[in-house]
Amino acid sequence: MDRWILILAVILAAVAAVQGASYVHRGIRSRWTVLWMLLSFLAQMVVLGVRSELRGSCPLGDTGEILIFSAWSLTMFYMAVGSVYRLSLLGVFTAPLVCFLLSMALVPGMLDGTPTHVEVVDGWREGHAAFSVLAYGALGLAAVSGVMFIVLNRQLKDASMGTGLFKNLPPARELSKIVKRLVILGFGLLTLGLIFGLVMKWSDGSGKHLFVALGLWFAYGVLILVEWRRGMPPRKFAIAAVALFVFSLMIFPLLK
Amino acid sequence: MGLNHKTAPVEVREHFAVPAELLGSRAKELTELSTIAEGVVLSTCNRMEIYIAAEDRQTGVRILREHLEEGRSADEMKHIYQKSGDDAKRHLFALVCGLDSMVLGETEIFGQVKQAYKQALESGATKGVLNKLFQKSFTVGKRIRTQTRIQMGATSVGNVAVDLAEKIFGELKGSHVMIIGAGETSRLVAQSMMSRGASNLTVTNRSIERAQSLAEELNGEAVPFDAWEDTLTKVDVIVSSTGASEPVLRTAQIEAVRRKRKFRPLFLIDIAVPRDIETEAGDIEEVYLYDIDKLQQLASEAKESRAQQVRICEQMIAEEI
Repeated sequence: MDRWILILAVILAAVAAVQGASYVHRGIRSRWTVLWMLLSFLAQMVVLGVRSELRGSCPLGDTGEILIFSAWSLTMFYMAVGSVYRLSLLGVFTAPLVCFLLSMALVPGMLDGTPTHVEVVDGWREGHAAFSVLAYGALGLAAVSGVMFIVLNRQLKDASMGTGLFKNLPPARELSKIVKRLVILGFGLLTLGLIFGLVMKWSDGSGKHLFVALGLWFAYGVLILVEWRRGMPPRKFAIAAVALFVFSLMIFPLLK
Repeated sequence: MGLNHKTAPVEVREHFAVPAELLGSRAKELTELSTIAEGVVLSTCNRMEIYIAAEDRQTGVRILREHLEEGRSADEMKHIYQKSGDDAKRHLFALVCGLDSMVLGETEIFGQVKQAYKQALESGATKGVLNKLFQKSFTVGKRIRTQTRIQMGATSVGNVAVDLAEKIFGELKGSHVMIIGAGETSRLVAQSMMSRGASNLTVTNRSIERAQSLAEELNGEAVPFDAWEDTLTKVDVIVSSTGASEPVLRTAQIEAVRRKRKFRPLFLIDIAVPRDIETEAGDIEEVYLYDIDKLQQLASEAKESRAQQVRICEQMIAEEI
């Protein structure tokens, strides 16, 4: 059943992406994107709920679940941040990424058909996984906002004001602020995830991804420090947020 | 029945103008005339129009015309147009959409028609026919403005500059604007920025007296021409329009203050010919440089785009009728 609900979540995110893009192309603000994303979010929650029941623990036991959890986290931050900053187009940019993550979870072999029921729950392990995935949500959304900033910046530099995209994108300074805030939020969550990860018990070879995560944490730390100490052109910061998020995806193949 | 900027020059329009606070009472006066049951009077700087619902069309037109002729010459009355039935309906719908405005698609007319109707309604000059007609016109106006691009884009250099500033900074509240050279266009651009919330204004000019006079008018601060560079670290927008033959603002000057500015966005508007700001300044990442050609091009593109929407709007109006 969880697979069917997951397919529904993918379809809803795809509808949000396609319909949102079509509205933007026509220069009209999409009022439906938030609704489709909310429905997809609810479907993702049901999938995670079912998996959690099957496992008897946090549903982060295989790559498929981690992908769904990441998509859920990304959608959650979109719902929380989008309404505050009225980033109407954020949904149109976020939906394809959510759709991609959920579709990847559908690839055979990603989701364990018969997940093992966990007898003893390791709180540190659960905390490590949950905080890390939440960090992914915030950092993913920072990357999405970063892409939006880069697009708007290019349009402002080229003086191409006539497009529907230009009309609907939020102001450059607001976008730049939100990229920074989300990077800081993601960094904080990643720090918590790492602290939990360092304390938890590791079986042989299962901690390889921790080294990549530490490298990533260090890179985000340097980025925040440089921005705080001497400032950085907003475009460079946005590019760094996008590049680091893409780099962070390297962790997935290392997860056992 | 009425006249507008297309049919009458300003010296005629001013003879027909009705003060904003009297729109309701003038509409009420109309209903006291024979056969005229309802009336709405609209008066803006570009038009004066009277909408009536009469028991008999021809008699109503004759009586309204006689009413308008009072105190006006035959020459002035030549500028009057009249429409009835569906033509009048179509005219009102097009009017609220801005299709009949001097600046195609402008939004102010919507509020002005609403105000005229509200006053007529409150004075008891409207009943079933005009209430239905005006309410329908507002629905049509909202639909067309939402579903088409008739009001998209700014059509004047000043508005393009302000729209761009809002796209860069969001709200202009708290923004700092600097004017280099106290020309008329700079004054208009600065005025628009201040009206949209910019709170700090610095004016510099070779003649400090002119700078002081403009600063006083716009509630800003004047600085001597040889001291404006210090302001570069604080400003968000620079509008430059001097008559200098050499660039006034060079790339190196901006490069020198980038770190001090913490790489905050800087919007440069160069409306001088020859240009005041070195073109290379636009290559700096957080700098957005627009010269007069770019601004004029954007304004013309918006005008063209609006003109292309007229047929779509007219089709939608025809459907509504």
